[in-house]
Amino acid sequence: MKKSDFVLCLIGCAALLSGCATTVKEVPLDRTAATTKIEPQDIRRTVEKMTESLLVAPGVKEFVSNRRPVLDVEPMQNRTTQHVDMISLTDSVRMQLLRSGMFRFVDRSSVGTAANDVERINQENQLGLVDPSKAVKAGQQTALDMYLTGALSEIKNVEGRVTDQYYKFSMILKDLKTGEIVWADEQEIRKEKTKPVLGW
Amino acid sequence: MMKISRITGAAVLAASLISLNGCKNTSGTIVNTDHLTGSSMIITENARLAHRVEVLNTTYDEVNGLKRVHITLASDRNKRLRIDYRICWFDANGMEIDPQTKTYRNLILEGHDAVTVTGVANSPAAVSSKLRVRETSQAE
Repeated sequence: MKKSDFVLCLIGCAALLSGCATTVKEVPLDRTAATTKIEPQDIRRTVEKMTESLLVAPGVKEFVSNRRPVLDVEPMQNRTTQHVDMISLTDSVRMQLLRSGMFRFVDRSSVGTAANDVERINQENQLGLVDPSKAVKAGQQTALDMYLTGALSEIKNVEGRVTDQYYKFSMILKDLKTGEIVWADEQEIRKEKTKPVLGW
Repeated sequence: MMKISRITGAAVLAASLISLNGCKNTSGTIVNTDHLTGSSMIITENARLAHRVEVLNTTYDEVNGLKRVHITLASDRNKRLRIDYRICWFDANGMEIDPQTKTYRNLILEGHDAVTVTGVANSPAAVSSKLRVRETSQAE
């Protein structure tokens, strides 16, 4: 074997072998789809789209023109067959709406929140450390004006090697006083996976 | 001897392809819009993408006290084109507002089709916007 062939072979082998090592790296938050499941970028895009749509909705305009309405964000329902952390999604929606400065928020929907608040108030007052004139009394919390709720649903079709997965996030903002729906919007995601001819 | 040269040649070619795969150009097209003066500036960093996607029009307005920008993108290709775009916002000091909340969104442009993308500021403090377009194939 010539010396140049040996060197080339060595470089080639080194380059190929480098692919056998396990690598860990940080990646951008918004990646291209890797699976047909709900992925982090789908959640992020949905939250962004929904909050932008809500903030510029004509129905919302009359509520926010001269005051900051009090809003509660209920955890969205997961009607799909896969596990999706809907509380995390709800938290992200709340966070983005909160940063807009157009709404005030209460948290009545999270499990145990109301009971926790009552328990904390009682605990504070019973310890005897608080000035009775400054003690917080139950029954003074801000009343709710509107609440935001929604659902995630899916349709899945498998045809031979092709899996077609459709997701729909739908959200509504409801006026508690009148019962009217002030805003509603949807975010649709469709993904397709084709299995290779060989393999599984 | 000839056979060994061919094998080494193939190995080098394979290695080169693997190495080149990591050299993707992730730059794209940028549209900066100043919502106070109304001026827009288009910066093309990626000649390949600039030949495929054209920025046709930029308009802006304000809704519920929040700035909004509409940018029309057109495909110069006959085939379907997949791109990602992100619209981020800056305050009067030029600081980006909540950068992590603004994501890259998908856009599928059919042959010679034009689509208007819209972005809404996440704060009333926003005064300028930046649209960044990249090819989806370059996202990874």
